Amino acid sequence: MDKIRNSLLAALPRACYEKLLPALVPVVLVFGDILYEPGKPMRDVYFPVNCLVSLLTLVEGHLALEVGMVGREGMVGVALALGIKDSPMRALVQGAGPALRMSAARFSRELERSPSLRRGINGYIHVLMGQISQTAACNRFHNVEARLARWLLMTRDRMGVPQFRMTQDFLASMLGVRRVGVTESASALQRRKLIEYHRGSIHILDQGGLEAAACSCYSPPPYAARPGGPGAAQLKVKLAADPAEHGTEAALAVF
Amino acid sequence: MNNRLLAVLPQASYDTLLPFLEPTPLPLGMAVYESGGTQGYVYFPTSAIVSLLYVLEDGASAEIAITGNEGLVGIALFMGGETTPSRAVVQSAGEGYRLKASVMKKEFETDPDLQHLLLRYTQALITQMAQTAVCNRHHSVDQQLCRWLLLSLDRLPASDLVMTQELIANMLGVRREGVTEAAGRLQAAGLIEYRRGHISVLDRAGLEARVCECYAVVKKEYDRLLPPPASRRVH
Repeated sequence: MDKIRNSLLAALPRACYEKLLPALVPVVLVFGDILYEPGKPMRDVYFPVNCLVSLLTLVEGHLALEVGMVGREGMVGVALALGIKDSPMRALVQGAGPALRMSAARFSRELERSPSLRRGINGYIHVLMGQISQTAACNRFHNVEARLARWLLMTRDRMGVPQFRMTQDFLASMLGVRRVGVTESASALQRRKLIEYHRGSIHILDQGGLEAAACSCYSPPPYAARPGGPGAAQLKVKLAADPAEHGTEAALAVF
Repeated sequence: MNNRLLAVLPQASYDTLLPFLEPTPLPLGMAVYESGGTQGYVYFPTSAIVSLLYVLEDGASAEIAITGNEGLVGIALFMGGETTPSRAVVQSAGEGYRLKASVMKKEFETDPDLQHLLLRYTQALITQMAQTAVCNRHHSVDQQLCRWLLLSLDRLPASDLVMTQELIANMLGVRREGVTEAAGRLQAAGLIEYRRGHISVLDRAGLEARVCECYAVVKKEYDRLLPPPASRRVH
């Protein structure tokens, strides 16, 4: 049997997760889809499985700066959990793939009656706020190349593959720099054989080298553990410390 | 009650908290929380302003949000974080109330009105953080200084700020000369007067005309998410 591949859901107590299960609809998110627009109601929430959603703040109505990135460690639509019906940000599918969808109304109801779900979601919001804060500070201090390397690694971790589609215009907007800045940085990383960039597709060739090029803001999420890597040890410790909580992972199938 | 969150709480919730609210001075430079530290209290500033700073691995830090009489410092406590990811430092001296962490946690779990208000406040804070990320990337030091002055001014009873350029430089994460030049330009335009650690705002409308959109976005979001302060009968 497959395990629950969204870490936020996997960390919920089994009974809590089972109550949510009938309301979770497997969907495939399409590259470039906009899940929310700022000021517009959020109709559904999403728990990414193998996809990546960018949280963007609009600048002067047209540029979109990335302030957060959601993959299988989290959910898209946390503002609903904070009691807000209209999205404060744009949510854009940046890596296509499977996710679990739940209607906003159902999610809000479940949240009201399940303290375990409330605790799980609040804990994730805390983590997301850390990521947004870090991005604000990173934007201030770190150079484009280091930020690009970090961004590529975060994308890889959440997509689970080392190759993805990406235009330089899009990257420039995400990172809040001019296109020429992205071109130069991507070329520099390519010259050092860390990535290969070709016709809107980026391939990470040297994971370790790219990690060395990234700013200190990068750290792999626990689920991105590679055999023997630091993330793997972290995950093992967590599992051993709380077998009851994670016991559901092996038993319940999502896909 | 000169804190907006406390002022808009329903009477019953307010009455429960009241015996536990301790008036406390918040002197300039006091570290309310250290990054990675645990929290004994949460703070509701009344006349002080507290900066939330994110400390990067390499030691550099930058302000990601400010909290004054509209809010509360220490949301990590009820959002389930064992420790705070940011550092909180008093950037403008004044007063506030503090509330024991254990009381805050218990009331947050058991009082839905309090919980809903604090969650909406959390969203307002997230918007301020995201907007800071934008501002750090896209706007000039002049604009950022205007934003910073206006956000501070909204949280102060007077139009004077006690503040050194060095502190502002630290908050904004720019070099001190950058702040000196920006402040010089605002002074030459007659918008502020700067004297030895003291900034007087002379022309608020002038600052609003120069500031980037970030100020209005944040202000609008706070007004949208948090009810307007009502006067409460104090018994």
